[in-house]
Amino acid sequence: MRMSRTEALRDFDLQEAPSQEAPPSGRWSQAASALLAGTLVSLGLRRRSLGGTVVALASGALLYKGIQSRRHTPPLPARARGHAPPSDEASRAHATEVERTLTVGRPAEVLYRLWREPDTLGRIMGHFADVKSMSADDWHWKLHGPLGRELEWDSRVVEERAPEFLRWEAAANSTLASQGWVRFRPAPGNWGTEVTLHLSFSPPGGAFAEAVMKRLRGIPALQTVKALRRFKSLAETGEIPTLHHNPTARASAD
Amino acid sequence: MRALCWNGVNDLRVETVPDPEIVNPHDVILRVTLSTTCGSDLHFIDGYLPTMKAGDIIGHEFMGVVEDVGRDVKKVKKGDRVVVPSFIVCGNCWYCEHNLYSLCDNTNPKPEYQQVAFGQPTAGIYGYTHAFGGYAGAHAQYVRVPYADNDCFLVPEGLRDEQVIFLSDAAPTGYMGAEFCDIQPGATIAVWGAGGVGMMATRSAYLMGAERVIVVDRFPERLAMARKFVGAETVDYSQVESVVDTLREMTGGRGPDACIDAVGMEAHGTGPGHAYDRAKQALHLHSDRGQALREAILSCRKGGTLSVLGVYGLMDKFPLGAIINKGLTLRTAQQHGQKYVPRLLEHVVKGELDPSFLATHRFPLEDSPRGYEIFKKKEDGCVRAVFTA
Ligand SMILES: NC(=O)c1ccc[n+]([C@@H]2O[C@H](COP(=O)([O-])OP(=O)(O)OC[C@H]3O[C@@H](n4cnc5c(N)ncnc54)[C@H](O)[C@@H]3O)[C@@H](O)[C@H]2O)c1
Ligand SMILES: [Zn+2]
Ligand SMILES: [Zn+2]
Repeated sequence: MRMSRTEALRDFDLQEAPSQEAPPSGRWSQAASALLAGTLVSLGLRRRSLGGTVVALASGALLYKGIQSRRHTPPLPARARGHAPPSDEASRAHATEVERTLTVGRPAEVLYRLWREPDTLGRIMGHFADVKSMSADDWHWKLHGPLGRELEWDSRVVEERAPEFLRWEAAANSTLASQGWVRFRPAPGNWGTEVTLHLSFSPPGGAFAEAVMKRLRGIPALQTVKALRRFKSLAETGEIPTLHHNPTARASAD
Repeated sequence: MRALCWNGVNDLRVETVPDPEIVNPHDVILRVTLSTTCGSDLHFIDGYLPTMKAGDIIGHEFMGVVEDVGRDVKKVKKGDRVVVPSFIVCGNCWYCEHNLYSLCDNTNPKPEYQQVAFGQPTAGIYGYTHAFGGYAGAHAQYVRVPYADNDCFLVPEGLRDEQVIFLSDAAPTGYMGAEFCDIQPGATIAVWGAGGVGMMATRSAYLMGAERVIVVDRFPERLAMARKFVGAETVDYSQVESVVDTLREMTGGRGPDACIDAVGMEAHGTGPGHAYDRAKQALHLHSDRGQALREAILSCRKGGTLSVLGVYGLMDKFPLGAIINKGLTLRTAQQHGQKYVPRLLEHVVKGELDPSFLATHRFPLEDSPRGYEIFKKKEDGCVRAVFTA
């Protein structure tokens, strides 16, 4: 499936707010990204929102386009790629979905086994959600943040092709229709395995939806790639880099 | 414990903070015996390098004695006296396996900053901004060292702390910068900046067979040290009309075979180019003053090598045309310390390298803000201030 650049960008606008690719919030970090981002400096500092947009487009939309135009799309039915049924146009416009890939220097068999260990998802998603393993195929998800309770759901593995592919879906009665999949394919040379993580969320209808979507928009791009990075570190070194107990002269460790 | 904390631009204070603990299985806790200032710290102290948070402990060049050992640490033992490179590296990823340690994939807990800014995150550093991970620094009584088996290097018996401390950062950085120059017999190398990094680059260039090394700076005490301790010829840029002309004349009209920038984004300068940089930096429209780097580019002989060790954010008025038309090779990196420390320790043991002269000033940790003050202002001939915890 090939897409033109404009198509990809339109898709991006629809599904991912630019703020998702912005660095961690706060004026200082906005300035940081702008300064560090080289050519984006003056835009980023003078006009914050424009700067944010440029940063977002540079790192988000282009990457997104790159993903969309890759020749190897997974051999899945449309629904598995997170597209809601065509009858449900309204919620399609609100759907948030994201897909990111990272190369991990271990064979697919090893990575697949690690992904299936009961505490792995909890450890790698820990920066945005608590994920608890209820049984081999069932996870309980709870997003961090003020909405707490409402953003909890159970998911179950619905498709499995070890050691290449695993897909899960939220239970039918969840507030949030969510699903995700992970794919492991060999990387060239001695790089190991290309791991792709796909997450998608379709919120409930009604007034509540706006609030939920606002929260969800914070998750996709950077959080997804961060989850992959944490998985990679766990696989390659047996631990995840952390600032837990990091001494500072302020209240927080990070 | 007590630790030196950054509380805002030009606001450093020693404060009481929690002790570090073993968190991950490959961690050790080090009791710091000596740590040192670095030119890189000045960039965030002065406010040009973002993503510091008030309360961060700073300091990334240090050594000490192992106090506590995580359960999966195999080689490092309690009581070991070790020196630690400033970049935290895992030893297992593709980059570590290819000796590109500062590019390690697994040690930056906050990859999102650099992912956005640079397209890819690099390794974490102790006490050096949240873009580089937000880890507590080493101007403290204790510090947590992750991946200790890869990041702690045992100090051979008989060496003093001052002889070893700079193997944490200044020495491997300078050594790497000289290695980038691919030095051939008879080569002339020019080095901008007579700080710790520039002096170590100078000594390393001689160790690699350079015939002449010319150091450019403006502080007479530093230039005198460069002549005395590392055998440099020197150019005081404040006393010459043009550094580029001077170097060309010193090298038979050819220019140096390779030029090393050991200055970075806060280069001091003169003339309209500097006024332009300074004004833009003050307005935060860009972060760098680039006089040294521009001179290095223009001075280098055709087909030569430009080795950039100074830290930059972004820089405009970058004479790319000179690089292209003169066919220069540009090499740069943050230091891959883990690659060089064993080799450097050998040089020190054999007496071929003794960086201890860089430690011009020594303070107890409690007085470290004063140490940074004189280091920053280059007062009293200060090249590096070292702190004892
Ligand atoms: N790449 C790395 O891994 C790495 C590691 C350590 C330090 N660094 C960087 O190396 C640079 C030097 O570090 P340092 O600790 O030696 O700093 P330092 O501040 O002690 O020394 C810098 C020297 O540059 C001189 N200088 C300023 N403007 C100059 C100009 N226009 N021409 C010639 N010399 C000029 C200063 O007078 C000073 O002596 C810094 O930018 C630092 O961030 C990089
Ligand atoms: Zn340093
Ligand atoms: Zn690594």
